[in-house]
Amino acid sequence: MAVTNDLRTFKNAAWLGWQMEANWTDPFLFATYSIVRPIAGTLILVFMYLVITNGETETAFFSYMYVGNAFYMFVAEVLFGVTWVIHDDREHFMTLKQVYIAPIKFYVYVFGRSAIKIAIVSIGVLITLAFGVFVLGVQVGSGGVDVPLFVLSLLLGLSMLLVMGLAMGGLTFLTAKHEGGINEGVAGVFYVLSGVIFPITVLPHWVQGISMALPVTYWMEAIRRGLMPDAMSEIAKGTGLEGLSNLELVGALLLSAFAFLVLSVAVFKYADKVARRKGKIDWTSAY
Amino acid sequence: MPPAVETKALTRVFHPKKKKEGKSVTALAGVDLRIEQGELFGMLGPNGAGKTTLLKILSTLLLPTSGKAYVAGFDVETQFQAVRKRINMVSGGEISGYGLLTVKENLWMFTQFYGMKSQLALQRIDEMLDQFGLADKKDEKVRALSTGQRQKMNVIRGFVTDPEIIFLDEPTLGLDVNASRTIREYIVDWVGKRKDRTVLLTTHYMAEADQLCGRIAIIDDGRILACDTPENLKKMVKTSTMLKLDTTHLENKQGLSSIRGVEKFTFTDNPENNMTSLRFVLEDEAAVSDIVSSVIAGGAKILGLRKTEPTLEDVFIKLVGKGFE
Amino acid sequence: MSDTWLMTNLRAVKGRAYPRVIGASREPSWIFFEVALPLLTVAAYAYIYKFMDAPAAFIGFVILGGAMTAFWLNVLWGMASQLYWEKETGNLQLYMMAPISRMSLLAGMAVGGLIGTTMRAAATMIIGIGVFSITLDLSEPLMLVVVFMVTMIALYGMGMMFASLYLLLGREAWHMSNLMTEPIYLASGFYFPVKALGAYAAVGASVIPITLGLDALRQLFYPATSGEYGFLPIEVELLILAGLCVMFLILSKLSLDYMEKLGKRTGRLTLRWQ
Repeated sequence: MAVTNDLRTFKNAAWLGWQMEANWTDPFLFATYSIVRPIAGTLILVFMYLVITNGETETAFFSYMYVGNAFYMFVAEVLFGVTWVIHDDREHFMTLKQVYIAPIKFYVYVFGRSAIKIAIVSIGVLITLAFGVFVLGVQVGSGGVDVPLFVLSLLLGLSMLLVMGLAMGGLTFLTAKHEGGINEGVAGVFYVLSGVIFPITVLPHWVQGISMALPVTYWMEAIRRGLMPDAMSEIAKGTGLEGLSNLELVGALLLSAFAFLVLSVAVFKYADKVARRKGKIDWTSAY
Repeated sequence: MPPAVETKALTRVFHPKKKKEGKSVTALAGVDLRIEQGELFGMLGPNGAGKTTLLKILSTLLLPTSGKAYVAGFDVETQFQAVRKRINMVSGGEISGYGLLTVKENLWMFTQFYGMKSQLALQRIDEMLDQFGLADKKDEKVRALSTGQRQKMNVIRGFVTDPEIIFLDEPTLGLDVNASRTIREYIVDWVGKRKDRTVLLTTHYMAEADQLCGRIAIIDDGRILACDTPENLKKMVKTSTMLKLDTTHLENKQGLSSIRGVEKFTFTDNPENNMTSLRFVLEDEAAVSDIVSSVIAGGAKILGLRKTEPTLEDVFIKLVGKGFE
Repeated sequence: MSDTWLMTNLRAVKGRAYPRVIGASREPSWIFFEVALPLLTVAAYAYIYKFMDAPAAFIGFVILGGAMTAFWLNVLWGMASQLYWEKETGNLQLYMMAPISRMSLLAGMAVGGLIGTTMRAAATMIIGIGVFSITLDLSEPLMLVVVFMVTMIALYGMGMMFASLYLLLGREAWHMSNLMTEPIYLASGFYFPVKALGAYAAVGASVIPITLGLDALRQLFYPATSGEYGFLPIEVELLILAGLCVMFLILSKLSLDYMEKLGKRTGRLTLRWQ
């Protein structure tokens, strides 16, 4: 019974999410809009690379950077998506309080609303990867694809991001004005510290210690090893994690993701409590 | 001396952006109006009657579909800059300004759009904040104000530039008794101080219009149905008898309108105490006994019955055939 | 055009600029959100150049580009979308009713936005320069100031034009600004010399004033790289930017007049939530 209710909440929230995401324009414009941004973001990196290497893209490092950047879209969009649901419902539609007091699990509603964002960003990631492989010669599948490693790490990573998003969402209860500010900050930290577009070895030594504590660092490495094992072993300067076997890598991902899960649940519960105490659930910035 | 406001066959039709979004709406249908300088003039009508549309046209925010409108003798369509120098507007429930500015800063900012010298503006703002009992709030951020305080600030914003003509669109909407009284008193005082000041006030509070305005226009469905002093308007129903009847819940009210001598009637059902309140405008007092018989035959008990003095609401019921709310 | 008219409009500019300037000091959290966040992207891009052993000037290019994102974001969110938000909050009708030129309102928004954003961009620059220990050539300070000012006038002129055009939009406004973020970073060469896009694309992107402005500033800060990475000679870029200034100011006046007329005819100036 409870599971049926949760499923219904999830389904309805996902439907609502779709309406909000897509009904402001016609499908063609929406599709363009959903694709143009991530592709443009990727092309910035491509041109940065090209201007230095004078046009050579079929290298292990280019593939490393390209694939990392493509999968980073999940980090940015999931963290942003979950917090945006809370912000949008409260500030613009002013429906957060009704949802909050409804006899449903609030996080199931939030995940349902975010699911549609994940679906949209998945298409963006796929298109970006396809563009990379077919146009730029990105070496996905070089040496075969390690499907179990890729699927396992993908699912693990997405679940981890959703829960982290919820924690950020909890903080959004407390900071009405700054829209996507906090999650952008956290996502930005991951971008710099987690070996997304460059190996963490280029960072100052003490910063690398922080990188090793972040689950996104292991996630990025695992995804890349799953998709392009050969290219990964060719990175001349090393990725900083080359000493770990695949099993150890997944173990490190699990461990750090679990630590972040505990932290995220604690942050959400704390923020929820403070928000109720301070009456911020139905707060609007009003300026 | 030109009238403060004059409209000739003023009409405004709103067309939907797309045909499937519905039909066109006629907000104003040939309004003729003349308001002299120095008047405190009221527009009384229910929600959607066309009051706000009229004010938007007069304040140069909206063009008429046809007809003409003049403010201080200037055409609102072509001489809008001359109009803007002479007017200001305050709406009920407006959220103007910026939440991160203080009350005083917000008011100062708006004075700058009217070219006031800062020194004069700040001095006048201080005086008015004092008059409205907001002096202790002047350095507070606007977002910290209560609804009543915020509306007082809005009213100050409208008057601080010392306009010749001010448009007040439901200025006391949703305010408590004290805040409403402060604002009403200020309006009466302001217009009374100089002969060249004019107020056009729209409201759907009958008592407010009755208490404040020298003349009132009753508007419904974009048409002016009557325009006169409150006393003269009430005289329109003087020859009639007003009857107020409270009963237990009365299910069938259909037959009441066909009773001989009943000119118009309205009713309100109150489910909380299971009562029905009926209000009649009677041409002939003899109809009372038939009304009572009809109510009893309908299975309801009479809880109260009294004749009342005519109010503007009775005028409205007589003119429109329905109540306000 | 009397003195009074001029004074009234100058006061309006001052009045509208005030909340934007004072806003920065009232909400110190901007330091985190508007300086630290761009710095994260700048850091990521700087490290990637470092990893590729790119010439040192590229770190400077990225920091300068990162600082300039503040202006572009301000134009998108603080100029283009602003009148739309003013309409939603109810301020727009009060502005439109005031006896001033609409241009002075836009100018006030622009001046206020420019002052506030310059502080933010400067903070990004200073921290970036400190963290990555880069050196800039300051041998032509006057030219630097002129290029910067002309770029900003053209850019904010463009923002003024967008502000009126956005009034045509409803909920799409938000999406429109979002859509013009990364694609413009790409087209205008915020993080790499625009010349890399190829001549045709770079010419097309030059309609956005920041493209040529950024290129000219990079050439001035790093004269040694001018030949290899500069798109056009600085003087030519300055001339085009001056042309863009005039063009955008005229277009913004025309579009504002058009929107005001359209708004008054359709009632859209005061309708919310379309």
